[in-house]
Amino acid sequence: MASCEKRRSAPAPATGSGLVEPVRAGVGGREPESEAEFLLQSGVTSMVREALLKVLEARPEEPISFLASYFEKLVLSGPQGGAAGDRHGQHQRLGRALWYVRLAHHSHRTAFNNNVSMAYECLSARGRRKKPGVNGRIYSELLKKICQDGEAPEEVVSSLLRKIQCRDHEAVPFDVFRYGVLSCFVLLEFVAKADTLYNVLDDGSGVADKRVCQAVLGTLEDALGASDFSVPIRYLEAGSKLGPDCLALAMDKALLERKICSSMNREEFLKKATALFIAKVKPID
Amino acid sequence: MATGPAPCTVRSPVALQVGDVKTDLARPGVAVIDVVLPPAQPLDLQEIIFKNSYTAFLTVRVQRRRPCDVGRDGTRKWVTCLWNHCLMPSPHTEAGSQDYFSLFRHQLLCDVDQVTAVRLILRQPSPVWLHFTLEELRLYPRGQQSLQTDFPSWLSHLAPQQQPENLHGGVPDPEKVSTEVQQLWVLTEMIRANQTAARIGRFDVDGCYDINLLSYT
Repeated sequence: MASCEKRRSAPAPATGSGLVEPVRAGVGGREPESEAEFLLQSGVTSMVREALLKVLEARPEEPISFLASYFEKLVLSGPQGGAAGDRHGQHQRLGRALWYVRLAHHSHRTAFNNNVSMAYECLSARGRRKKPGVNGRIYSELLKKICQDGEAPEEVVSSLLRKIQCRDHEAVPFDVFRYGVLSCFVLLEFVAKADTLYNVLDDGSGVADKRVCQAVLGTLEDALGASDFSVPIRYLEAGSKLGPDCLALAMDKALLERKICSSMNREEFLKKATALFIAKVKPID
Repeated sequence: MATGPAPCTVRSPVALQVGDVKTDLARPGVAVIDVVLPPAQPLDLQEIIFKNSYTAFLTVRVQRRRPCDVGRDGTRKWVTCLWNHCLMPSPHTEAGSQDYFSLFRHQLLCDVDQVTAVRLILRQPSPVWLHFTLEELRLYPRGQQSLQTDFPSWLSHLAPQQQPENLHGGVPDPEKVSTEVQQLWVLTEMIRANQTAARIGRFDVDGCYDINLLSYT
């Protein structure tokens, strides 16, 4: 108001007709100011900014449905968060945490870490009477739910979970939580890639030769073998061992070995491949 | 590989001039750098490295501790191991004037074991350059033949890239297989690299917290 008055008083002594304009300027000046103020005060600006940042991080293929589910989750978390009964609230929290961790692919490291920390905070708030924190039970349930969506076979999932699960009563720190969630997602991707590899190895026939599969898996195991050198040398070594010519030689040699043609089916191949992966997952202790 | 430059004293270049140094104003085109090695440590020379500074031609002479090198009056002979080596292809121009040079023992004319003194004779016939010398002169002794300690063994046993000519009929496309297998490797490496150091803190023995089983460590 003071600035409007200033604008009004300055041209007044100059001319008589100048009185009309400052008044209009004053009125016009008030409205856009109040619109921006309104948006700021109601929190719409920050909310829309958050939503935009989330879309940028997640880069979904259908942005509209993504935004719709985002605002729906926001509504659910608002007034109803603490009011619902503990079990129902826990179920909701689990659903929301699941949604958070699925937003970004695990290779987008910063976005993924942010989402995992939000999921951790969401799971930590356990209602009014309980102490905050993530316990082993809800952590294990979250991991199971993550693995359910992928196409990983049951055995594989259970052998991974055996390594990274926590007991119900234990308190799960954030590092362990992040590691467990990351392992689940990487396992799902690993299974998908191993599946693709099987498709390449079977040449479209649906069934791959056992010797070839074993040769390939043996080369992979060799490349994964413990080496103490720093990262660049390890990458060079793996690259040289897993190049097309080395693999071709290994497969060729394997096919020359025995005449008996036996085949390895998809499940067995996946089991053997994921065993190599799970061997490298550090168990939680 | 070089283990490090040998300790030596490099004297500043002395211009060789005919006639009286103070009165004769013509600039000499020859300078001599003497390198004195510690008397008790004759050097097996592997490499001489220096930075040129407008020297056109270089001659290197060494004094060795060898019985054949001792002259009739007992003094040691100077043996030329590099004669008129061209450092600047065109002495009037800049090419090669500030380059780094490295002389290996196999480039030298004579055997350079048990060297006690080195003399470098610099020549610059062009009047364009006021001063010429060699900088950062270092002599490297013959080092040990062993490999560096952190050299991975597989790098020294690299198999040459072999193209298998006749692959079996049933071998799947190696390129595609290689792509997929490398991605599997990357995923496993990622999980290995992202291990967490955080611990839950379990102290039970096989799921049991029985006091008789707990240890003191």
